[in-house]
Parts: sequence; structure tokens; C-alpha cells
Amino acid sequence: MNAPTLWIIFPLFLGILLLFITNQRVLSVLGGFIAVALALIAQFVPIELAMKLGPLSLKIDSSLTVLGRVLLIQPTEGHLLALIYGAAALWFFGAEASKVAPKIVPIGFMVIALLVASIAVEPFLYAALFIETAILLAIPMLTSIRKPPGRGVLRFLIYQTLAMPFILLAGWLLAGVEASPGDLALAAQSAAMLGLGFAFLLAIFPLYSWIPLLLEETSPYLVGFLLWILPTMTLIFGAGFLDRYSWLRSSSQLIVGLRTIGLLMVVTGGAFAAFQRHLGRVMAYGSIAETGFSLLALSLDFKIGIPILFLLIPARALGLAVWSLSLTILGEHVETMRFDAARGILRLTPLAGAGMVVATLSTGAFPLLAGFPARLALWEGLSRISIGSALWMMIGIIGLLVSAFRSLAVISVAEEYTSWEPRESPTQMLMLGLGMIGLFLLGLFPQSVQFMLANLPLMFERLGR
Amino acid sequence: MLILVTVTILFVTALVLLVLQFAAQGFRYNWLVAAGGAFLAWISVFFWQLQMPLALQFPAWQPALLFAQSPTFVGDELAWMFAVSLATLCLAIILTAVVRIDFPRPINWIGTLILTALGILAVVADNPLTLVLIWAALDISELIAQMRVVEDPQLNERVIIAFASRAAGILVLLWAGMVSLANGQMLDFRQAPPQVGLYLVVAAGLRVGVLPLHLPYSTESTLRRGFGTGLRLISAASSLILLARIPLSSLASPLTPYLLILTSLAAIYGGWMWLRAPDELNGRVYWLIGMSSLAVAAALRANPIGAAAWGCAIVLIGGALFLSSEPNKWLLRALFIGAWGVSSLPFSLTATGWNSTLPSSWLVWLVWPLRISAQAMLLAGFIRHSQRTITRVSNEDQPIWARNVYPIGISLLLGTTILLGLFGWSGALQLGNFFVEVPVALLTFGLLSLTPRLRVLNPVRAHWVRPANPSWLDWIYRALWNLYRQLRRVSDGISNVLEGESGIMWTLLFLALFISFFTQRNP
Repeated sequence: MNAPTLWIIFPLFLGILLLFITNQRVLSVLGGFIAVALALIAQFVPIELAMKLGPLSLKIDSSLTVLGRVLLIQPTEGHLLALIYGAAALWFFGAEASKVAPKIVPIGFMVIALLVASIAVEPFLYAALFIETAILLAIPMLTSIRKPPGRGVLRFLIYQTLAMPFILLAGWLLAGVEASPGDLALAAQSAAMLGLGFAFLLAIFPLYSWIPLLLEETSPYLVGFLLWILPTMTLIFGAGFLDRYSWLRSSSQLIVGLRTIGLLMVVTGGAFAAFQRHLGRVMAYGSIAETGFSLLALSLDFKIGIPILFLLIPARALGLAVWSLSLTILGEHVETMRFDAARGILRLTPLAGAGMVVATLSTGAFPLLAGFPARLALWEGLSRISIGSALWMMIGIIGLLVSAFRSLAVISVAEEYTSWEPRESPTQMLMLGLGMIGLFLLGLFPQSVQFMLANLPLMFERLGR
Repeated sequence: MLILVTVTILFVTALVLLVLQFAAQGFRYNWLVAAGGAFLAWISVFFWQLQMPLALQFPAWQPALLFAQSPTFVGDELAWMFAVSLATLCLAIILTAVVRIDFPRPINWIGTLILTALGILAVVADNPLTLVLIWAALDISELIAQMRVVEDPQLNERVIIAFASRAAGILVLLWAGMVSLANGQMLDFRQAPPQVGLYLVVAAGLRVGVLPLHLPYSTESTLRRGFGTGLRLISAASSLILLARIPLSSLASPLTPYLLILTSLAAIYGGWMWLRAPDELNGRVYWLIGMSSLAVAAALRANPIGAAAWGCAIVLIGGALFLSSEPNKWLLRALFIGAWGVSSLPFSLTATGWNSTLPSSWLVWLVWPLRISAQAMLLAGFIRHSQRTITRVSNEDQPIWARNVYPIGISLLLGTTILLGLFGWSGALQLGNFFVEVPVALLTFGLLSLTPRLRVLNPVRAHWVRPANPSWLDWIYRALWNLYRQLRRVSDGISNVLEGESGIMWTLLFLALFISFFTQRNP
């Protein structure tokens, strides 16, 4: 048994097999439990260490060679896999409530497996191919054979695909930099290529126009899943570059660039969210701001920046899951998610409405909610360096909070004496209730996820040490 | 530990009532359970005195590298004053509930118990992080409570505006922490750099509607006596505790006198509107604004004890007035104790309200008459509202036990007012400032005697059901809304460009511009 087989090849083939099951509940429960099992194994069974189970000896090898290339999952990456598959379980369990289980569970497994492969593959140049394959696999999830793909899907495909040549070129140039470290021009070129590649992958301003478009035309739950997994894995992949190349890590220009772009994402995400008149688009800009927060974390001193980056991940996963599930449920009861159509919907879907508002507030760093502790630490780290940057971050946060208040106002202001008639199904109520409790628990006890996060920086050799 | 005892009693009582509400709908002793829990909690607060200062530490936030502070609570003198006021208010609300038309209404008692527990946690918060967490919990609880009952769309909007303004207060407190860190110091209630103090005052002022002056609840017809009183007063007390926690060293700012002017103007506005309010419930928001302004002014004059005293007066004396609903002549007379409590006269609760250790500039002297007038108007309004019997309903048709229990609730509030004025904290039992007490008393008598003669002092008409007419505050809201719409047009324009048919070309153009901009800045 080896780790790549367990966490890459098995989920990949499992996803293919699950394509043949169409029952929402079976898929949701089966997918959820398998993801939980994979997460538990990753968390508790050490890699490259023999475990005695009575007469049996169990050891998970860290590498697998395929066609001369190596898929290598380091023992220190077990916690990351636990986090990724644990969060995936969350999405899969919620799939039944959102009624998209036949799409999200099988393809979700495959996408996650490919993105894990992108981190595990050596040489890393091949990561771009795995990411591209994952993106191509996501297209059937977002489209239907009954109607032509919308503009958002096409933009998503175009922008994400454009990332691949830049990453490949960067990889090629970086090999040259390793060979001749004194060649500054080559280093600058490779950094520029790398920057462009990640700008497309992470949907950096102004390359994020596909996100709001996608949320207008596709199920929010499916888009939410992609908005969680793609940036999360890309950021870890990107942090790997910083870990590997000392000249990149020590470049003050890169740090300033990351901070500027992070603030740009937070401010534009927050400001645009505040001006939207479509509930889905508010979520789109919220997720853009989320990516901005992560970039800001990377711009801090790595000793605190890397723990903040990892602390942002569970909050993002849970927040987006609750947000997108809530929007999907709200969408079942309104024609469109434009503000004028969603007026007063809180009286029909109180839990979904509450879930949406709570998730928006969490993204906006409202205290007591999951997003708050990480953002507080980030904000404090930023204000130690530059109070001006901290002020810009506050502007972004204000925008996000305004969007939450506006959304709340829209869904709660009903005609006078409209009665409360909840129409959510028991499954939907259960999932939303659990999700919201989770958001509050993470906000009040951020230490509750430390058993998973504390050792995550160990996956890097130099970052965060 | 004793903090936990009090809070646990309140939460457990609320939980028991909640379970009974769903599991045993015919249960007849809900009120007894609520009153028992509130009574035990009230008694337990007095036991704090045996071990003060009390400390309570929640599990520390991890990783410790990122979080220098964790939720921590301390029950000291100031916190005890507020805690006993809140526990008394809670008990009084439940005791006086027996004569309300909608009795029994366990859901309101559950709300009151939970809010009181959160309020007590807020007043014992030992650091800004703990305070913002509890504030957030209170705001969410209040939002849910309001959403449940409000039907009118405009009132609904007001509820959200109120929530937003409180969230703004939270944000300002957090920002104060950032400014403190930028100056190399973690914000704490014991020490803070001079740049931070005003942010703390503004945070508390925003939450109670004083700085800048705004009325989140200009009318409230749905939540009146009982639960509505608890909601307003507990929320105010939990915000005003911050004023009592501001480190004195942090208030030395050249902007302080200007904030004092703004606060005094808010006090005048609150006092004037309170004096002319048709009744105490319609004027409740102005009572809060006026009294809170005096508390903020005390904090700006580096008088945290005074700010705490004004805060307790809001809860105890306001609570006694807003819960009074019977034209009982003994209770009407007893309410004069409340008037004494607000008067700053010797040995009263607010006798310390005008103390100051800061040197006074001419600007500070300038606002003295404003503050004195505001206090006189608040006092005159209190006396007028407390002695009016038109809106009161006789309890004659109530059972004998209810008629006997109801006055206990009001008396407890007034009794605690006396108790705190005499023994509330180590600096209690003060003569106060005669240069304020005498003019306030004279002005109050003058206003009371002129009220029947001058039309301008007569009450304005009540708006029972519909929201108030547009005021100058609405004009400000409208101006802000217009600005927002202009900005939205810009945002829509950018979105249309980037998401339109030619969006990809525009995006790549922007990208090229950004790259050239950055490469020029960083050669």
C-alpha cells in the first residue's frame, strides 16, 4: 500500500465508479463516509511508519512511480490530506440537501484526487497538467447536456487554461535559474511567468470576471465547491514554490506584490459585494475577498503568515459550504436570485436565509463566526507592518459586512403580516443547522481545529519554521 | 468561578424553559421556574463580593503565536456594579411580567434570561477580544428577537440599521486594537497608547447611538414593556461598560474637547426629546441617548466610575420607570427615588458623574451649560413621565399574588439604586459636585413648573403604530443612500466592461496596464 494509491488513484477510480449511481442519498452518504475514512486514515495512520495491528504489520509507503514520474506524499502532508478530505466530506454530506449529488460526488472525488496529485508530483512541472485536467473535469459538473454552456463556464475554462502555459514556462525557466542563480534577468522572467500563471489560477483582479458570471448561471453549490478546492490547492501549490526557491522567498518585491494584490482582492471583492443586487454575485465577490485574505497571509512574516493561511482554510471550506447550500435552497423558492425576486424569502426559508447571512458575516470577519479568528490574526499582523494596509483591509471588510446587511434586508423585508411558512426539507434543515453551529464553534474555539492545523507548516522545509 | 455560577444559572433556566416550551406545553409553573432562576442568579451576584476580583478564563485560543489574547473575564468593582444592575433588571422584568396582558409568555423570559447572561458576560469582559465576542452574541440575539416579532417592512429595515450600527461599533473597537498594535502595544483595558482612547469612546458611542448621533429605533411599537425594556437596557449597559474600561492614559488627545461638544449636543437632543415625549415608552430611545451621552461625556473627562454610574442609572432607574405600568400611588412616590438617582445629588447613584481629573480647557467649560441643561431635561422628563398616570393600567383585576409580586419587581430596582449609591464601589457615598447639582435641581424645577404654561414644552403626539415622520436624520440617511447609488453605478460600469462580450480583451488590457505600472514602480 502506498499513499498516492490511497489518496490519488483510489479516489480517481472511485469517482468514475460513482458516476453510475444516481440516487442522491446513496451518493451523498457513501461519498461523505468514504471521504471521512480517507481523512481519518490521513490524520491517524502515519506514512512511512510501520504500524503493528496484532500479527499484522501495516506500512503506507510515501511514493509511487508512474511512467518514470514520481507521485510523492510526504509523511508531513498527512494532515493536509486529512483537512482536504475532511472538508470534502462536508461538501459531499451536504450534496443531498442541494440535490446535486450525482455531479459533485463523483467529479468531486476526481477533481480532489487530481489536485492532490498536482502537489505530489515530481518534477513539479507536471502539476500544471494535473490542474488543467481537474479544470477540464469540472466542466461537465458545471454544464448540462440540455443547454449550451454560459459565458461564465467559457470564461472559467479560458482563464484557467491560460494558466497552464505560464506555469509550464515558469517551470522551464526556473530550471535555468537553478542552473545559473546569478542570472537576474532569467529570474525576473521566471517570476513574471509564475506570477501570471498564478494570477490566472487564483483569479486575481481583473481575471475574476468568470466567478460572478458562473454564480449567476450555475448551481451555487457546485461553484462553491470549486471556489473552495481550486484556490485552496493552488495556494498550497504556490506556497510550495516559495518554500523551494530561496531567492523567491526573500524577494521584497514579491512580498510587496503579494500584499498589494491581496489588498486589491480584498478591497475590490468587498466593495463590489456591497454593490451587488444578486445574492449569488455577493457570494462570488465574497470568495474573491477570501482569496485576497490568503494572499495577504502569504505576504506576512512566514512564521505567522503560514499558520494564518492554514487557519483560513477550514473557515473558507465551511463558510462557502453553508453559503452555497443556503443559496441553492433559496434558489429553489425564487425565480432568480436577484434582489427584487428574493424579497421576503426569509419567511419561506428561514434557515437558508440565516445560513447565507451568517456565512457572509463570517467572510466579513464578524466576531463569533469562523472567519473571525484568522482574519483578526491577519489584520493584527498587517497592522504591525503597515497601518495603511490594515486600513485598506478594513475597507474590504466593511464592504463585505455591508453586503451581508443588504442581503439580510432584502430577504427579510416582506409584505406586512406575511406569515412564517418554512419550506425547507428536514435534510436541508439538518445540514444548514449543523453548518451554522460549526461556523459558531470555529469562531468561538479556533483551537478546536488545531489538532489538524498545528503540524501543517511542517510540510514545508523552510516556510513557517 | 462565581461568574460562571451566575451565568450558568441564567442559561440553564433559559434552557429548562425552552425544553418545557416544546416538551410540556401545558406546564403551568414556567413563571416560577423563570423567577426562581432569575432570583438565584441575582443572589449569586451578591456572593461575588466575597472573592472579588473574580477571574474566569476560557480555553486559550491556539496557536498562541497568533493570539496574544483569549476570552477572559474579570469581576471587579465596576463589573459588579453593572452585573448587579443587570441581574436586578432581569429579576424585575420577570416579577413584573405577572401583570402583563400577554402573561404567561415564556419565550420572552427565555430571551430576557439569555440577554442578561450575555450582558453579564459583557460587563466582566477583561479584554477587547472578549468584549467584541460578547457584543456580537448580543447583537445576533437581539437581531433574532426583533426579526421574530417585527412585521412592518420599515421597522424591519430599522432593525437591520440598528444591527449595522452596532456592528460598526465592533469594527471601531477592533480598529482601536490595530492602531494600538501599530504603536507597538497590544490593546488592553489596563494600558493603551494615547492614540486609541477616542476610538474606544466612539465605539461605545456608536453602539448606543450617541457618536455620531443616530436613532436606530426611532419608534418601536412591538417590543414595549418587559422584554423590550430588557433588550434596550441590557444592550446599552453592555456597550457602556467599555467607557468604564478606557485606560486614563489613552484619552489625552486634542480631539477630546470636540468629541465632548458633539456628545453634549447629543445629550441636549436626547434630553429635549425625552422631555417632550408623549410617554416613557415612546421616549425610551431618547432616554438612552441622553443618559448615554452623559456617560460618554464622563468617560471623555477621564471619569470611568462616573461613566459606570450613568450606565447603571440607565438600567436601574430606566428599568423602574419602563416596567411601571400601574397607577399605584406608593409606587409613584417611590419613583422619586429614581429621580434622586439621576439628579447627581449627594449620595445618589450619579453623584460621581461629574467628577474629573483632567484639566479643563475653555472648550470644556463651554459645554458645561449644555450638559447641565441636558441632565435637567432628562430629570424633568423622568419626573413628568413617572408621575403621569394616563398610560398606566390598574392591576385591580389581577389575582392577589400577582398584585403583590409586581411592586416587588419595581422596588428591587429602586432599592438597588440606593444600595449602589451608598455602597456600590469603594468611592461611593459621595457628596458630588455642588456647582452642578444646584443648577440641575433649579433648572429641573423650572422646567417642571413651566411645562403646563409653555406649549413648546408640551409632549408631542404619539405614533403608536406607524414609524415616525422623516427627520433630519432621515435626510442624512438619504444623502448616504444617494452616494451609495452613485458608487454602485461605477461598480456596475466596471462589471459590465469586464463581464461583457469584449470582457476578455478588456481584462487582458487591464492586466497589461497593471504589469507596466508595477514594473515602472519596481525597476
